This record gives sequence, C-alpha cells and structure tokens, in this order.
Amino acid sequence: MISDKTNIEKPKYINPYLGGVLLGLLILATIYITGRGLGASGAIKSAVVTTSNTVAPKATEANHYMGQFLSDDHSPMYTWLVFESLGVLIGGLLSGIIFGRVKKWRTDHGPRITIKKRLILAVIGGALFGLGSQFGRGCTSGAALSGTATFALGGVIVMFAIFGTGYAVAYFFRKFWI
Amino acid sequence: MNRNYIFLTILMLVLAIGTLFLTGNDEPTQIAPEELLQEIIQPTRYITTDQVAKMIIQGDPSLLMVDVRPAAEYEEFALPGSLNIPLEQLLNDGNLAYFGVPGIRVVFISNDDIRADQTWVLTKRLGIDGTYVMKGGLNSWMQTIIDPSQPNADAPSVDHQLYAFRKGAQIYFTGAESAAPDGENVEVQVRRREKTNVAAGGC
Amino acid sequence: MGPLIPNGVIGGGWDFVIAILLGVAFGFILEASGFSSSRNLAGVFYGYNFVVLRVFFTALIVAMVGLLYFDYVGWLNLSQIFILPTFLTPMIVGGIIMGVGFVIGGFCPGTSFTGIAIGKLDALFFTIGLYLGIFGFSLAYPLFENFFTSGDLGNVTLMEITGIPAPYFAVAFTVVALAAFWGTMFIEKRVRKNMKQYKF
Repeated sequence: MISDKTNIEKPKYINPYLGGVLLGLLILATIYITGRGLGASGAIKSAVVTTSNTVAPKATEANHYMGQFLSDDHSPMYTWLVFESLGVLIGGLLSGIIFGRVKKWRTDHGPRITIKKRLILAVIGGALFGLGSQFGRGCTSGAALSGTATFALGGVIVMFAIFGTGYAVAYFFRKFWI
Repeated sequence: MNRNYIFLTILMLVLAIGTLFLTGNDEPTQIAPEELLQEIIQPTRYITTDQVAKMIIQGDPSLLMVDVRPAAEYEEFALPGSLNIPLEQLLNDGNLAYFGVPGIRVVFISNDDIRADQTWVLTKRLGIDGTYVMKGGLNSWMQTIIDPSQPNADAPSVDHQLYAFRKGAQIYFTGAESAAPDGENVEVQVRRREKTNVAAGGC
Repeated sequence: MGPLIPNGVIGGGWDFVIAILLGVAFGFILEASGFSSSRNLAGVFYGYNFVVLRVFFTALIVAMVGLLYFDYVGWLNLSQIFILPTFLTPMIVGGIIMGVGFVIGGFCPGTSFTGIAIGKLDALFFTIGLYLGIFGFSLAYPLFENFFTSGDLGNVTLMEITGIPAPYFAVAFTVVALAAFWGTMFIEKRVRKNMKQYKF
C-alpha cells in the first residue's frame, strides 16, 4: 500500500503540460510539413481493407465503403497513416524502453473487475470506437485534436461529442474503473 | 511548482491574446497598390513584336504566348504556338496555373495592347511575376512582321538591319502559313505550375 | 511556403519516411505522457487522473495559437491545409459512440498502439476491437450509406460558419483550457485522497 502511495506521488511520466506542448508543436510540424494533422484509426481501416481484399477481393470491391479505398497501383496499406501508425508503435516502444515500462504482456484493470472481464470490455470498447470513428471521420487524434487545432467545425463537434458523452456515461461504467 | 504554472498560464494567455492583434493578411497574394503603381508606370512589361518573332523563330522554350482575345477571334488568326485564354476566363479553374512558372515568360497578346495590358495588371495584382505584354498587339504584328515597311535610304543602319530581320521573319511566318494553314495544328506545349494541392487527410 | 509536401518543397518520395518519423514522435510523446495506460486515460472521466485533459488541451491550444502565428509569419497558408469535412449528424452520432467506447475500452486508437508497444494486453484487445468495429461498419455500410453522407457541410471551419475571426476562437479555447487546468488540479487532489488503490 505504501509503495502505491509513492507511485501516485511520483509517476515516472513526463509532466503532462510538457507533453502537451510537445504534442502541440508536433501537430504544428505535421501540418507545416504535410498540410494535415495526425491520425490513427485510418491505419486500422487500411488493415481492414487489406485483409478483406486478400481474403475476398470481389466482395471487397463490391463493398461501397471498402471499395473506395482500393487502388490498382498499390496496396491499401500503402498510405500515410499506416506508416505514421508504425511510427507510433516504434515511438511508444522507444519511450517505454527509456522509462523502463516495457514488460511482458499485462493488463490494466480497475480494482473491482477481473482481467478477463477487462479484456472483453476492451474489445467491446474498441469495436464501438472503431464504428464511431468511421461516422466521425476520425478518432480523438485525427478528428478531435487535429481537426479542432485547424479550426474545423467537424473536429470541434467530434471533440465535444466524445468527451461530453464520456462524462455523461462515466457514472454507469464506474465499476470498471474505480 | 505552482509558481511555474502561474508563469506558464500567463505566457499562454499572452500568446493567445497576441493573435488578436496580428494584422490580418487575408489577401497575402495581392501586392500593395504602391508596388502595383510602380510596376505599371514602368515600360519594362512591354516586349516588342520583333522580340516575340525572334523568340518564336529561335524556338525559345521559355516563351509562352497567351492570346487573351475571345475564342472566335483566336480561331480566325493567331500566332503559331500561342495558347488561348480569353480575358473573361482568366480566373477560371486552372488557367492561372500557366502563369508564374519559374523560367517561363508569359506574353499576353491581343489585337491592340489594351486587353493584354488589362490582363497583365490582373496578373500583377495576383502577385504573379514573369508576365509581359506584346507592344501594339497583333495590329503591330501585322505592320512590323507580316507587312514590314522599307525604311528610307538615309535611315540609320539599325533600321535596315531591323528591316532585313523583319523580311526574314515575314518569310518564316507567311511561308510557314502556306505550308500549315494558320498554324492551327501547332501543338501547344506548355508547362503548368505544379498544382498547389490542398492536402487530403483522414484518420 | 508551407505546407511543404503539398507545395512540392519536399518531394513525394520522402512522404513515408516523414510519416514514420512524425509517428515516432507522436508515439513517444503519448507513451511518455502516460497514455499507454487505460487507467490513466479513463481517469479523466472519474476525476482521479486528468492527464488526458492536460495533454490534449495543452496540445490543442499550442497548435491553434501556433498555427495563427505560422500563418502570420507566412510559413503556412491556412487555406491550403486539410480541413476535416463536416457531416453534422453522423459526426455527432460517431462522437457519442466513440465516447461510450472510450469509457468502456479505456483507450483511443492512437494510445492503444503505444499500449501495445509496451506490452499492455488490454491495448491489444482494444485494437482487435477497433478492427472488428471498422470491419463491421464496412459490412453494414449499405444499411446506413445515406445516413453516413447526410448533413454534409463540406470542409467548413469555425470561422466560416460563425463569421468570427480565428483568433477569438484561439483565445476562447485557451482561456477555457487554462481554467480547466487549474480547476482539475484541485479536483484531482481531492479525488486521489479518497482512492485506496491506484497504480500507474
């Protein structure tokens, strides 16, 4: 219990405001170089289209949604966001190594739920997030953060919808976390 | 720790409020009226018919002739290798991409040089460099290149040299005309400026 | 001058190299800030850890204010950068679904990648969920194709829709964010006092 206390007092994370400033500067750099912001869910979309196209090319092409991401020239994986997400993995690993957080597979979960339940919830949450990110034209990084930073109306809408809903429903899921 | 945060808070506020006082440069591609006036009163934008003829004959790759007359007039007669962008359509999609290519001299051509001059002023206001006006327009072209008048015998030798050049050019252009009527089928090869894409994105 | 790649200052071949480098920086910042832990992330909704709010809003106001200065100095042409298109109702619905997914799953896509990188099993499962969700969306797409493209307002900005110049939005967001930083500092202290078990 005492060690937990000290963990709360001294996390091995960088100051969140420093992280925020760095992230803000990174968004600026990204927009300066590429003209668009950062993203993440697009990479998963590319993965979905790619696997679907490998398993059932005809059906994928016929699918109105996935069909539009197919190209004769290159694989659907050959997009900016896939490479960027690959970078996110590398960057996360790098930071994990530096701060000593890379360990064998483990699970974060609230004190009142089991690991198994937490993993099921993670899948459900991920599925909802994936579904929502298609309607929202992006996730927290692509739509809410980069979108709002560029003063896009859509970004602001997504941002308020995500966090507003989060706070609105947090009470019902409190058992999972606290 | 808290004191640092207070400093940072104030810094961020000052930076944010500072943006309110940035003078809006909503039209960054337009040049100032003073600059435009400077450019207008200088005759350097004019290029003579002789210079144009020379460049055509030499096949100067840096020359792009833009005919700003209506399409009907362009169909009737036009300089070989010229491109037709009627003044009315100057600002239409994609047309502006022809101008401002580094290393390319765009010469505006009309019947006299008034229309061409108007086009030139427009491009200047848009901040495009490297545009010129053919002095006297096609009327002057007719008088000087197609039907040059012989200078007096006592005129300076420069005039005679010019006449000799014009005579040669006349043969070049009218002779070429009889071979390929009106240069109508001349393939106009132009370099367009790299399209300034609006980036696509997505998450 | 900027953006560099759309204006051809940097050749297209460098596109993917830059993508990876920017991604590395992105992942590093997210992980180093503690976004690789779902408990840290979910804390923003329960008041015990506001790291999401801090990083997110600091990044937002820095980028917003920075963009305006970049535009002023002439480094960036704001009219050339990508503006997220707005589809009014689908975006609200999508945001609501994502909000629920966030509370249940405890991650968002970018952060789950960093979670995987350091060996968080729930992050991996979240990403599998993401995959299933998007796949399900694609399969069911014909059902709500009309809804998906409804409410299309085009690539509009706040300025275009309200007529208020961008700096006012930047100031408003900054003031709200700074107020939230100070407010949440006190909330977090109070909530954490009552927490018995919480590991980072």
